[in-house]
Amino acid sequence: MYFFILHLSSFILFPMPPSFFHHLHPPTIPTAQARWRHTLAAGGTAIFLMLILGVTGILEMFYYAPNPAEAALSVQTITYHVPFGGFIRNLHYWAAQALIVVSAVHFLRVIFTAAYGHPRRFNYLLGLALFVVSIMLDFTGYILRWDVDICWPLTTGTNLLKTIPVIGDFLYRIAVGGNEVCETALLRFYTWHIFGLTILVVILGVWHAFRVRRDGGIAVPPPQLRADVTRIPRDELVRREVLTMFIVSIGLILLSIFVPAPIAAAMSVSIRESVTESVDVRAPWFFLWVQQMLKWGDPFIFGVLIPSIILALLALIPYIFPQPNEAEIGSWFPKSNRLAQIIVAIIGTIIIILTFINR
Amino acid sequence: MTNLSRRDFLKLVRDGFLVLSGALALGGVLRFLDFQPNPAQKTQFDLGSATNYPIGSRTALSEIPALLIHAESGFSALSLVCTHLGCNLGEDESGFACPCHSSHFDAEGKVTHGPAAKPLSPLRIEISEDNRVILHTS
Ligand code: FES
Repeated sequence: MYFFILHLSSFILFPMPPSFFHHLHPPTIPTAQARWRHTLAAGGTAIFLMLILGVTGILEMFYYAPNPAEAALSVQTITYHVPFGGFIRNLHYWAAQALIVVSAVHFLRVIFTAAYGHPRRFNYLLGLALFVVSIMLDFTGYILRWDVDICWPLTTGTNLLKTIPVIGDFLYRIAVGGNEVCETALLRFYTWHIFGLTILVVILGVWHAFRVRRDGGIAVPPPQLRADVTRIPRDELVRREVLTMFIVSIGLILLSIFVPAPIAAAMSVSIRESVTESVDVRAPWFFLWVQQMLKWGDPFIFGVLIPSIILALLALIPYIFPQPNEAEIGSWFPKSNRLAQIIVAIIGTIIIILTFINR
Repeated sequence: MTNLSRRDFLKLVRDGFLVLSGALALGGVLRFLDFQPNPAQKTQFDLGSATNYPIGSRTALSEIPALLIHAESGFSALSLVCTHLGCNLGEDESGFACPCHSSHFDAEGKVTHGPAAKPLSPLRIEISEDNRVILHTS
């Protein structure tokens, strides 16, 4: 694992000749908007985390057996027997959790610096879609543990589909491959996780990054309205990126060494037979807020409708809310898009509160 | 009658074909995914000789999960699957509690605390000729 730090530090300590990596960047970018306190380095970090997820995920595939009898055991093999297996699994786990957090931070940055305005409206939607698919990837990956602790989140999560009027039963059958959650469900979640959703993330991610360049790079006011018109060269940008990757890697490595990813006893073949009093009934952390709302009543309203409405509202921000003023684009807390900021702040606070009051 | 140039018309036809073929392909994929390979879930459980369950007994069978009741009037059974989103219920002093979103049911299966809205469903019991208890879950 230390080779990793060694590898990255060699980029920082020794000058590197310009490479393909440099050419992915624009020749120069505006100084003010290239600052960490402006971007929070969130978008770039998300890309880096996805690369880590891809590599560690492929490594895990060499051992993971996607059938109910062996799945949990193969996860135990990876974790406890394979050399560096536990470390690689922990890296995969922590990178995935970090991706959700970093994506949320990236989203907040875009809202609070009004970076989503025309012409970046479509790219905003791409970003939102990426966020949703990343959450789906996190959930399907969690299910792949196939240990006793995933029983109830899997059961309730898929039963939520059934509550959707008209198409609910059909969606349920498509999701789990039958009328009950059993063997077929694991293979479906596996295929979605390593292939279906991953392909989607790659396509959306490349498109998202490409649109950043197409839409004129990072969001800034037009040159005549800018206080600071200086620009930094791409070498400097790359240097900062590598430094960020270095810091992120150290964080992930420390987490992976000291805080192992969750694992529980293997599930027996039938879900109902494997649960005992002691299993974890809590949803994965990013769904705790939904689980909390489900305690209030009708599962369709609280588990499907409200989350969808929130998503739709966020998607509409660049289209129906007061638009950011050109001169204020790319500065923190502009006045012109206050409404969007307030709404996002309220939604975010409620989600955080719900997460924490869920026991 | 609108003025539709030849070029616009061709474009419209092209787009129509694209949408149509895309929708057909999507429909095909969805049908492809809607196949149920596994044998139907077991719905019949042999619970053994009826003499194992004396009158007045209430037996929780966690692997089904169900509650078998033998009262003066005969055998009956309640499903112990929560009617909210399907977790297994656990027994407590006053009935059954759900660990997932804390619904609660009384000993007769009526909801005493939400979010569940429906009472627990009764299951059919059959006593076979050789006096064995057979439980049907559907
Ligand atoms: S599944 Fe029992 S309360 Fe939700």
